[in-house]
Amino acid sequence: MRKACRLLAVGLVLALAGAFLPACAGPAEGKILVVGTTDSVTTLDPADAYDYLSSNILNNVAETLVAYEPGTTNLAPCLATEWDISEDGLTYVFKIREGVKFHDGTELDAEAVKFSLDRARTLGGDPGFLLSDIDTIEVTGDYEVTIKLKAPCSPFLSKLAYTVGCIVSPAAYKADEKLETDVVATGPFKFVEWVEGDHLTMVRFDEYWGDPALPDKVVVKFYANSAALKLAVEKGEVDVAYRTFSPLEEEGLKGNPDLVCLDGPSPAIRYLVLNVTKPPFDNIHVRRAIALAIDRNAIDEQVFQGTVTPLYSMVPDGMWSHKPVFKHEPEPDIEGALAELAEAGYTPDNPLSFQLWYTPTHYGDTEDDLAQVLKAQFEATGAMQVELMSSEWGRYTDDLVAGSMGILLLGWYPDYFDPDDYLYPFLSTEGAKSLGSFYSSAAMDALLKDEVALSDQEDRTPILEAVQDLLAEDIPYIPLFQKPQFVAFQKDVKGVILDPLQIFRYYLIGKEGWE
Amino acid sequence: MAARAKPGSLINYIIVRLLLTVPMLFILLTLVFILLRVAPGDPAAAMLGAHASIEVIEQMREQMGLNRPLYVQYFAFLGDVLTGDLGKSFRFGIPVWDLIKHRLTATIELVLFAFTVAALIGLAVGVFAASRRGTVWDVSGDFYGILTYAFPIFWLGIMCQMLFAVELGWLPTSGRFSGFIDPPVMRTGLYVVDSLLEGRLDKLVVALRHLIMPGAVLGLYISGIFARMVRTNMLQTLKSDYVLAARARGVRERWVLLRHGLKNALVPVVTVLGLQFALLLGGAVLTETTFSWPGVGSFLVDRLLERDYPAVQGIVTVFALGVILVSILIDIVNALIDPRIRY
Repeated sequence: MRKACRLLAVGLVLALAGAFLPACAGPAEGKILVVGTTDSVTTLDPADAYDYLSSNILNNVAETLVAYEPGTTNLAPCLATEWDISEDGLTYVFKIREGVKFHDGTELDAEAVKFSLDRARTLGGDPGFLLSDIDTIEVTGDYEVTIKLKAPCSPFLSKLAYTVGCIVSPAAYKADEKLETDVVATGPFKFVEWVEGDHLTMVRFDEYWGDPALPDKVVVKFYANSAALKLAVEKGEVDVAYRTFSPLEEEGLKGNPDLVCLDGPSPAIRYLVLNVTKPPFDNIHVRRAIALAIDRNAIDEQVFQGTVTPLYSMVPDGMWSHKPVFKHEPEPDIEGALAELAEAGYTPDNPLSFQLWYTPTHYGDTEDDLAQVLKAQFEATGAMQVELMSSEWGRYTDDLVAGSMGILLLGWYPDYFDPDDYLYPFLSTEGAKSLGSFYSSAAMDALLKDEVALSDQEDRTPILEAVQDLLAEDIPYIPLFQKPQFVAFQKDVKGVILDPLQIFRYYLIGKEGWE
Repeated sequence: MAARAKPGSLINYIIVRLLLTVPMLFILLTLVFILLRVAPGDPAAAMLGAHASIEVIEQMREQMGLNRPLYVQYFAFLGDVLTGDLGKSFRFGIPVWDLIKHRLTATIELVLFAFTVAALIGLAVGVFAASRRGTVWDVSGDFYGILTYAFPIFWLGIMCQMLFAVELGWLPTSGRFSGFIDPPVMRTGLYVVDSLLEGRLDKLVVALRHLIMPGAVLGLYISGIFARMVRTNMLQTLKSDYVLAARARGVRERWVLLRHGLKNALVPVVTVLGLQFALLLGGAVLTETTFSWPGVGSFLVDRLLERDYPAVQGIVTVFALGVILVSILIDIVNALIDPRIRY
């Protein structure tokens, strides 16, 4: 017995000692790409996926009728080879690609397309509303689908390109039931396993209709915080680290000679919301004074170490129809702000007092600093006194809808890549209720209605510009900045593209030495 | 309560203890249910965020069953728990058990390792200090106890990361397994055990390399308390007459310490060890965050912030059951250590 105990003890000590030897870890098996992230996956059902990483995983294992070309904002054929749009903008006829196989071996056809889109419309998942423009979907041939809309909708193809429009195998899904932990579709990767909080694995789909994925296998590793992710990429435990680092961590990684770091455009924006029904923000002079007192470049330098881009419209810079309507000289315009405050009856002797709300963790560690800098900028006018208020996300969203906060910080990531998604939800009377501004303008509603009925980009542009002009006139929101994407990866990693839509395509990424 | 059981019967005592867990769990679940709903914040709005319209939020509330009267929700919840159903997570839409089973085994593996480290170090330091009472060794032991308890656990974690992973490169920085190798086939959910069962030494090494640092940090944190407990109890035991008698009979000092001193000092220590188990689960939250260990502790915090009622209720239920079972186990161990203990 005693001998057995000793043997066990020796074995244990040897195992622990062995564990300290890095060489014992063994070589990687095959062409494996390990991607680290602090994001998490919440579902794999396209009908329900409505957060960044869930959608991004689907972008690698599933496909839509139309999709964005890598690295661009151009819509291109994907599972539909071509489409016709009727003159009235109400009927879309799609030709479905032939010879495409689902991961379960079944064939893609028009019935599968109708099944998938009908399923996403009726299941009531989070992104289901994106397909609410559809009136009927009909199979008009083995490989032809006709979609009729309730009303013309210019960004309809962009909405179909969101992952809610992914086509799934009818053999693997039920029409009336969500499938949250598996995905059977047509993408370049086949889903293998998802261990929540630990990792998600996918392997190359050898019968994929397009160019084969470069890695044999992709492992997405989930990290609890950005500090751990930073260490992991620095020590080579992950090939690629994508989303999300703090500005200081980004700076540290950029200084690491063993890594490659890239910055890229991002469709995510940050802004202030002003509740136009709540005093003192129901006064346009107060809203103007606040807009004039902001110094976006100082925010960039003081909070983000120069890593963000000042934003002067709700439509992000780089997107067609963007008009920098909030740009003014000088910035900040303290005198202008004081004049507006005086119009509203506030002076340095009788300052405007208000609470500025923010949520401390949802948008990262920099949020406290951002709120502090904004407070300092407002108080620099000498006629504003700001009390900072914060509540965690659960409470914040509650108060947002209830309209109890007067001015608050918020962020937006688009559902579909079209200026409409940066304007309609914010400025339409219906949309503004859920985004905290409670803004309502008949003129604005009319402009938005006109804009969405047109399908030609050139026709839409002047109306979208007019919408932005009216936004700057009424100021229910004040755009602050765009935060570019950032990725860090090992030097032997090739093919990383920072897509303007933040679709991170694992299938295009390879490593030196992979034949 | 125990008085109703037949005196001296450990089995009867265990049965009574197990029966008592029912009202205990009932009270706990009721409290969790009420506290979650008293806390401000609507799960539907928290989940959908700033994107959702009021209609969509209302629709979501309907789907989640949050529009039902509170008492209906409460009895539905109790009914589900009684049938072993922890419900579906609001955020993930999948059964809570499926969601937490991997995380639970990750936390158990971490806590078992930490517990072993804490017990070994705590016993060694405690016995050593007690046997050299009043010397510099004793003071050092005392100092060790204070130091380990006083250091913030995340600070200790980060320091170890910097030293063993970044500077020396001996151990991985964080996580539970390497992304470049397939994890062991899930049998027990404990990677160390599963690697052994699969017969893959390379996987065992990878699993151990990931486990050592978070496990040791968490273990060190608790070991100080053990050390102080062992020392105090040992000193009391060593003052007793039978120890004096043993020494007078010329029994070797090592034998006196281990056979007479430690064995008898262990009963209260084992009890405290059991209580520390619950504390370890709490400490695991911070360790899991620092080391990105995919355990249930950090998951619980995230679900709390999102007001994911079913997930929080499910995790608390499983935690509570775990702590209750461990405390029963401790009673049994105590009875085995000290034959005088009867219930």
